[in-house]
Amino acid sequence: MAWTYLDKYPKNLAKSLWIMKPVITVTKLFFKTMVHRPVTVLYPYEKEWVPDNYRGRPGLDFDKCVGCGMCARMCVTQAIKLIEVDDDNGNKVMRPQVNIGRCAFCGYCAEYCPLDAMTVTPEYELAEYTRYDLLYGPRRLKYDKTTEGMKVKLEVTLPSDVANGNPERRVCIFDIDKPELNDAKCIGCKKCAKSCPVSAITMVEKGVNDKGKPIIRPEFDNSKCISCKNCVDDCPKDALQIKEVL
Amino acid sequence: MTDSLVPVLEAQEKMDTDKMWVIWGPQHPFSHGLWTLKLKIDGEFIVDADPIVGYLHRGWEKETENRDYARIIPMTDRLCYCASMTYSHLYCMTVEKALGIDIPEKAKYIRIVADEVCRIQSHLMWLAAVGTDLGNLTVFLWAMREREYFLDLNVKLCGARMTTNYPRIGGVRNDTTPLFDRDILRTVERFEKAMWDIIYLIDDSSVFVSRMKGISYMTREQCANLGLTGPAMRGCGVDFDIRRDDPYDNYDKVNFEVPVLNKEKKVGDTYDRYMIRIEEMFQSCDIIKQAVQKINAIGKNAPYRLKTPTKVPAGTTFGRLEDPRGESIMYLVSDGTDKPWRLKVRSPIFTNVSCSKAMCDGIRIADVPAVLAQIDMCLGETDR
Amino acid sequence: MAVATYTSILEWINFNNPYDNPFTPFLSDNLPYDIAYGLWEILGGTLAWLINLLFPNNVVSTWLLCDEVCVLMSMLVFMLLIFIVAFVVVLLNLWMERKVLGRVMDRRGTMVGMKGFLQCVADGLKTFMKENTIPSKVDKMTYIWCVSLIVGLSCLVACMVPLSDRWYVVNYDSGLLIIMAFYALAPFFILVSGWAQNNKYSLIGGLRAAELMISYEVPMLIIIATTSLLCGSFNINAIVAAQSEIWFFIPQFLGFIVFFFCAIAECERPPFDIAEAETELVEGWQTEYAGMKWGLIMLGDYLRGSVSCGMVAIMFLGGWTIPFIGGTAAPEIVFLIKAWFVFFLMILVRGAIARVRPDQILNLGWKVFMPLAVINLAIVLLLKIGGVY
Repeated sequence: MAWTYLDKYPKNLAKSLWIMKPVITVTKLFFKTMVHRPVTVLYPYEKEWVPDNYRGRPGLDFDKCVGCGMCARMCVTQAIKLIEVDDDNGNKVMRPQVNIGRCAFCGYCAEYCPLDAMTVTPEYELAEYTRYDLLYGPRRLKYDKTTEGMKVKLEVTLPSDVANGNPERRVCIFDIDKPELNDAKCIGCKKCAKSCPVSAITMVEKGVNDKGKPIIRPEFDNSKCISCKNCVDDCPKDALQIKEVL
Repeated sequence: MTDSLVPVLEAQEKMDTDKMWVIWGPQHPFSHGLWTLKLKIDGEFIVDADPIVGYLHRGWEKETENRDYARIIPMTDRLCYCASMTYSHLYCMTVEKALGIDIPEKAKYIRIVADEVCRIQSHLMWLAAVGTDLGNLTVFLWAMREREYFLDLNVKLCGARMTTNYPRIGGVRNDTTPLFDRDILRTVERFEKAMWDIIYLIDDSSVFVSRMKGISYMTREQCANLGLTGPAMRGCGVDFDIRRDDPYDNYDKVNFEVPVLNKEKKVGDTYDRYMIRIEEMFQSCDIIKQAVQKINAIGKNAPYRLKTPTKVPAGTTFGRLEDPRGESIMYLVSDGTDKPWRLKVRSPIFTNVSCSKAMCDGIRIADVPAVLAQIDMCLGETDR
Repeated sequence: MAVATYTSILEWINFNNPYDNPFTPFLSDNLPYDIAYGLWEILGGTLAWLINLLFPNNVVSTWLLCDEVCVLMSMLVFMLLIFIVAFVVVLLNLWMERKVLGRVMDRRGTMVGMKGFLQCVADGLKTFMKENTIPSKVDKMTYIWCVSLIVGLSCLVACMVPLSDRWYVVNYDSGLLIIMAFYALAPFFILVSGWAQNNKYSLIGGLRAAELMISYEVPMLIIIATTSLLCGSFNINAIVAAQSEIWFFIPQFLGFIVFFFCAIAECERPPFDIAEAETELVEGWQTEYAGMKWGLIMLGDYLRGSVSCGMVAIMFLGGWTIPFIGGTAAPEIVFLIKAWFVFFLMILVRGAIARVRPDQILNLGWKVFMPLAVINLAIVLLLKIGGVY
C-alpha cells in the first residue's frame, strides 16, 4: 500500500521549526508573484479562453428553425416559449423566445433541437437593466459566429446495434423515432396535420364509413418528419404514438 | 443518587445561568450555507449542540415527480454545486438500473473520470473552507486556484463549470473532446505537484495541526450508530468505500486504495478526518490516469451513449454511490410512465450533520469551525 | 513691535528660530515643531498683515504674533502634523497589507486607483457615510465611550512613537515605559465594550481579549525590561543610540522573536485575533459596532499595529540609525522603512498560519514565550556582567 501523502504525514514539526515551512512557502510565492503575474485575470479587461462547446446563452439560426417546439418541451425551467413572428417573407411563423432570467444554461435546447438550429454560444455576460430586457426574442437570439462545435449533436447508439456487433453506428433519435397511428382510435380530425411544423402529415381519404362519410387518416412522410411529437401531443384521442426504435 | 436530590438538581438545572445557548447561524461566517448550530456553552466548553437545517428546503423531491426522466438531470446538478457530477451520475445510474440496461464501457470510464474530477474539486472546495474556518485565507485562495484548473476541465468536457448536466440515462452527453486526455493528464500532474504547497501550509504548520489534533474523537460505534459516512467515517477507522466494496460503473477495473486511518485504534480525531481527504485526492489522480488510459484503449468510435426508452417499467430501484462527502442514495419508485412516482434522495450531509452533537461534545468554542469543517457542509443537498 | 517696517511676511514673527522663543516647549531640535512654527509664521503672519492693512496698529495683529500665541498656534499645527503623519503611515500599512497579502495569495490585491491606495480612502468614505446605528439594548454610555477610548488611546500611542531623534512629541527618560503603558490600556476597554454590547459574541470576544492580554503582556514587559537593561535607559533616544554599532536584534535574538509575536498579539492581528475571530464569533467584540464607529476601531487597530512595528524597529533594529553610518539625512524615512519591513513580516506570518486557539495562546504565552523571555534576560545579564555591553 503506497500512500502519496499519508506516508509522509503526520510528522514531527519541531524538526522544521514549527511554522518555518509555511512562512517560507508563502514568501516563495510572494516573490514569484512579484516577478511573474498572479494567476488571477483582470476580468472585464482580460477574459479567459472558452471552448466552442461552452454553454452560454442559447443561440438560434432563424432560417433553419421550423418552430417545432422541441426546445420549449425539453426546457427544464420553462424559459422557452414559442411566439409568433414575421419571417423574412412576411409570413407568420412560430419561433422560440428565451427568457434568460429563467434559463438554467443546461444546453438541452441545443442538444434536443432536431435541426441543430438551436446552438450554445459562448456569450455569458447577460446582465440587463430590466427583466423585460432579459427576454431574448428569436431575432435577438441570433449568434453570428456560430461554429460547428456549438451545435450539440444528439447521437446515440442503439442497443440493438450493440447486440448485433455494430456499435460504431450512431444515429440521431430524430431520424429513427417516428409517429405511429392507432387506426381504431383515430377520428380524422386533422389536428396532427395542422400542428406538424414541417408538413410531413397529409390527410388522405381512405374509403367511406357506414354512414357514407369519408374516412380521413393521416399519412406520414418519414423523410420530412423530425419526430418532434407535436402531433402526438395534439391528438385528442391518443391515437398517435412515437414508436421508439431501440 | 437519592430521590431527595432530584428536585434540587432540577431546580439547579433551571437556575443554571452560567451555561448559555449561543446560536450560530443561519447567517454566521462559519456556516457554509443556511443552517443553524445551537451551542450550549459552559465558559469555553460546549456541553450541548443542536443543528437546525431546513432553511433551503425547496421541494426538490416533489418537483421531480412532475418531470420526465431526462429533464431531472439538470436538477440533480443543483443538489450540490460541488458534487454535481456525482449526483447526476447517481440519478442516471438509478434509472439505468430500473431500465435494466448496461451502458457502454467507454461511458463508464468517462463517468469515472468525471466523478473523480468532481471529487477532487469538491475536496479542494472543502480544503478552502477549512482554511477560512481556521482563520487563514491563503489556504482558501490556493485551494480555489487549484480547483479552477479542474473546473476548466469540466468546461472542456461538457461546456459548463459547475452545473455540468453531463451524464445521461444510457451514457454521457458527449464523447470526450479532442485533446481532453492530454489536458486532463497535464492538469492532474500539475495538481500532484502544486498540492504539496498547500500541504506545507497546513501539515507543516504547528498551528493548523495543533488546532485539529486531539479534538472531537469519534469512535467506530458512534460512526455506525449516527450514520456518519464518507471520508469522515474512514478517518475513524471504518474501512468502507462503496467504490471498492459495492463497485459501480467499472470501479472494480481500476486499481486504487481506499485511505483508512486508525484501523486498530477504532477512534479518530479531526486531523485524521482531514488527512483522509487529502490522500483521497491523490488516489483520485491515480484513478483518473488509469481511466484515461482505458478510454484511450477503447478507441475513438466506441459507443458512449445508448438509446433508452423514455418510459421506465414500474418498480422500485435503489442506487448508491460514493459521493465526495459520503454515501448518497437515490430510491426511485416508477409507475411505468415517463415520470417518476417518487424519487427519494439520501444526502450524506443530512446524516453527517446530525453527528455534530456527538462531535461538539466537550470541545471548545474555537474548535467548532475546525471540527464541523470536516463534515463539508453543503446545504443544497441537505435540505433539498 | 515694528509693524510698519518689514521686508517679508516672515519678519512679522518675533523669532525666526523657534527655539529663541522663551515659551517653546522643546529643549532640543524638533522637526515637526519647526515646520509647524514656519507654517504659523506664514499663516499667522499673513492673517496679521491682512488685518493690519484694514485696521492699522490694531490689537488683534499684535496678539496674533505675540510669543505665547505663536507657540500655542504652532502647537496646534504640530498636533495635526504629528497625527497626519501617523495616519498616512497607517494608510500605507493598510495598502501594503492588501497588496502583499494579495501577492501571497496569488492574486492582485486591491486595484482601486493609484495602484490600490485609494481603496483606503474609499473604505473610509464608505464607513463615514453609513448610518450610525446604536442597538437598543446596549449600555449606551459605555458602548460609545469605549470606542472613543480605544480609538483615542490608539491615536495617542501612535502619535507618541518618535520617528527620529528630531521627530517626537515628548522625549521622556521613561519614554518606552509610557508608550507600553498606554499601549496596554486599550484591551481593558475592549473587555468593557464586550460587556456593554449585551451580545453573547461580544461578551466572549471581550473576555477573550482579556485572556489574550494576560498571556502576552508579561513576556513582553520582561523583554522591554531586558532591552532597557541592555542600554541602561528607558529613553528611546538612548536605546537607539546604544544600537549604533550593533543592533539589539543580535544579542537578544530570542527576545526579538518573542517580542515580534507579542507585538502581533498586542495589536490583535491574525494569527492572534481571537477576540474578533470571525468564523467563531462573527466579529467578536466589534459585532455591534457599525458604520463610522467600526471604521474608527479598524483605524485604531492599524494604528496600534504600526506602533507595534515601530517598537520592534526601535528596540531591535536600531531605530533610525544605520550601522557604521549612523545618522542619515532623513532618519524618519530610515525608521519608517524598518517599521514597514517589520509589518511586512507580520503580513507574511498572517498569510502563512492560521488563527491560534485561546487556550493555546495561554500555553504559548506562559510556557513558551515566558521561559524564552527569561532566558533572553539571562543572556543579557551574562553579556552585561561579562562586560560586552
